[in-house]
Amino acid sequence: MLAMAMRKTRPLTIAMLAAMASLTACGGGGASNTISFNSASCGGTWTLAKPGWHTFELYNANDVGGEIDLIDPRTSGVYAEVAQFGPGTTQTMSLNVGSGRYAFRCLFEDTDPMTGPAVTVPGHVKGFTATVPVTNNELVGPAKEYQVYAAAGLKTLVGQTETLASDLQRGNLTAARRDWLPAHLTYETLGAAYDAFGNFDDEIDGRADALGVSNPQWTGFYRLEYGLWHGQSAAELTPYASKLVADVRSLLATWPTMEIPLIDIGLRTHEILENALEFQLTGHDDYGSGTTLATTLANIQGTRELLSLLHPLLVTRYPGLPGVYTWLNRLQTLLEAEHQPGGTWVPVSQLSASARQGIDAACSQALQELAPIASIAEPRNT
Amino acid sequence: MGDADKLPGRRSFLRGTGDADKLPGRRSFLRGVAGGVAGGVVAGGAAGYAVRAAQPEPAMAADTASLDGRLAAVPFHGRYQAGIVPPSQRQTAVISFDVTADSTSGLTDLFQTITSRARFLTAGGTPPPAGIDGPPSDSGVLGPTVVPDGLTVTFGVGSTLFDDRYGLAGKLPGRLTPMQPFPNDDLDPAQTGGDLILQLSAGNADTVLHALRDIAKHTRGGMQINWRIDGFTSPARPSGTVPRNLMGFMDGIANPPLSKAKELLWVQPGTAGEPDWTADGSYFVVRLIRMFVEFWDRVDVYEQQQMIGRDRATGFPMDAKSLFAAPDFGADPTGAVIPVNAHIRLANPRTPQTASSRILRRAYNYDRGIDQVGDLDQGLIFTCFQQDVKRQFEAVQTRLIGEPLVDYISPFGGGYFLALPGVRDAADWYGRALLT
Repeated sequence: MLAMAMRKTRPLTIAMLAAMASLTACGGGGASNTISFNSASCGGTWTLAKPGWHTFELYNANDVGGEIDLIDPRTSGVYAEVAQFGPGTTQTMSLNVGSGRYAFRCLFEDTDPMTGPAVTVPGHVKGFTATVPVTNNELVGPAKEYQVYAAAGLKTLVGQTETLASDLQRGNLTAARRDWLPAHLTYETLGAAYDAFGNFDDEIDGRADALGVSNPQWTGFYRLEYGLWHGQSAAELTPYASKLVADVRSLLATWPTMEIPLIDIGLRTHEILENALEFQLTGHDDYGSGTTLATTLANIQGTRELLSLLHPLLVTRYPGLPGVYTWLNRLQTLLEAEHQPGGTWVPVSQLSASARQGIDAACSQALQELAPIASIAEPRNT
Repeated sequence: MGDADKLPGRRSFLRGTGDADKLPGRRSFLRGVAGGVAGGVVAGGAAGYAVRAAQPEPAMAADTASLDGRLAAVPFHGRYQAGIVPPSQRQTAVISFDVTADSTSGLTDLFQTITSRARFLTAGGTPPPAGIDGPPSDSGVLGPTVVPDGLTVTFGVGSTLFDDRYGLAGKLPGRLTPMQPFPNDDLDPAQTGGDLILQLSAGNADTVLHALRDIAKHTRGGMQINWRIDGFTSPARPSGTVPRNLMGFMDGIANPPLSKAKELLWVQPGTAGEPDWTADGSYFVVRLIRMFVEFWDRVDVYEQQQMIGRDRATGFPMDAKSLFAAPDFGADPTGAVIPVNAHIRLANPRTPQTASSRILRRAYNYDRGIDQVGDLDQGLIFTCFQQDVKRQFEAVQTRLIGEPLVDYISPFGGGYFLALPGVRDAADWYGRALLT
């Protein structure tokens, strides 16, 4: 179960710095060195005598809010942005300006995008690299592919949960304990869709947390796990298994009408493993089977699916991409080493201190490497 | 409990199994040894020393004047690490790490990364702003500009780093071992030892935590936190004296003067049994010591002073009229004024034979919640620096075995480390001599 709330708004990503700029600007409005934006002018003319660290002071003289990007006019790559730029406010934009071509691009509400005059910063000094924004259109294909991937997973899941339910109907607890795991792992590979699954996710993979383990409203995989590994009878668990089958079927039927927000594809590349670190590698979500390391592996698989869908967009934009795979691979290897010969998994609480440190370190570093993808793969209007 | 049973004092009495009634009680034991002390109690705060009465040469780590929270940058580069000799800052965090790097080159990357982060954090400055290509580079905990706030980063290595993982077995410092448990210790393995130790100290808690988050963020794959504890130095009360520990006694009154650093503090080049790379390092002992403060507060002040050897209110040795005066144990051979088992007397007998066992103390108080019976979990992060753990810390601690104070304290963790030689300049890095 994914705990992340929907993340649709974007925080302001420009840090405010003390001004160090040898900046001259004209274009009306505000104090000197302030660049002004309105419905007719995207920054006007401005010059920058030399490369280096600069803080631009930007004044929104428009009567609507919007976003200002500093771009490379040749590639439309973005050096820096001020999002959530309220009317009548001043914001700063700081960056290491290299020699090259620059222009402001204005994206005001209810206004066609505008690009201001191109400005050349002289010399041969390297500054920040411009990142070419990912567009909505570019994410439509990956989202569709993800829809298909999840649908296939859900179909498999129907069969697996039916097997689990039939084990319990026959009173075969041993088989039920065996068949619970693959079903749960299938669900755990579908990480990016959890928010899209909406209330289904609470029914299918909810935690006992707020409800308590004896509350009949607690249903799904973890409820079954709790019963199967705490001596509960097949008769007691059968209704939960039947409900799980019904919920998965219902989700599969509804799925084609559910939409994955495009922004989620990038966000989930780190959020799936953020949840694994918080709930699986801590052992929090171990309701008795001791398989949270296997769950983490399933979460890695879900992460890899997203990465492969985004790969064409990332490979030209994210120099750190190889590091992502290095650390995911290392994490995967360390987790697989805890798969016991009999097919069981070492519960996190029984890992050796060094094994646990190695796994936690690899997961944490993988997350560090994954984190920029959410920003890079955020759909931006251009 | 076997060792504890051999100890005098109430704690062992309480824990004794069969013959508890044969053991002296706390009061009879104390008074008996003290020999019917009539007049006074004696000196000290703990295991630190420095003869300061004759000529008041400044002791290392003794100045407390600059504890006002807006400290300037402490120069990072130097022959020795910068956080060892200067006065204690107000806030500290002591963090033990285990290395998770999977190769020697990974270990080198780790040490270089810690160096570059420490270099930036101690100098301060403005971190690069975020673009559209990732989250912000800095946590923002200190605002847009990182202030130095007197931050020091003291970095050490433990004996476990020299196992077979990184090919360093032949480079083990000559005096580095796992921490030896003493008879009154109750060491928790989960809070003891570690491949690496970092002590981050600064004027304010946000500065310390910002530094910890920054360093951890840049080293996630290379090391994992093993245990950590936060501490603080109290203001001197009254002003102009020495900060108190949570037993109410001034702590760290006496430390050796800087002129003794070559004999007591830094590993000297060419020392027998020491690999060359350890020169200019310093052995760094950390002891996490719970104080049973509720119990302590139920003991009358006369007994408290007898156990410590100093006046609680003034900090004066019980035979002297000033804070920094040296107690004259020679004039009091039977312990009539300062009992022979008082903490300051055992810790530093102030004899020529024990002068080489002096240590540089740099203790901090800690306070972190409650125990199972609702008592406060408070105590001391005892840290000290020295040239030779056995000759210095262990000799002091051996003299302290069975001191009456053991009833009121419980050492539960810590470790032995070697604080690395200083990072000399912008091209140097922590452990360069060890890893190249």
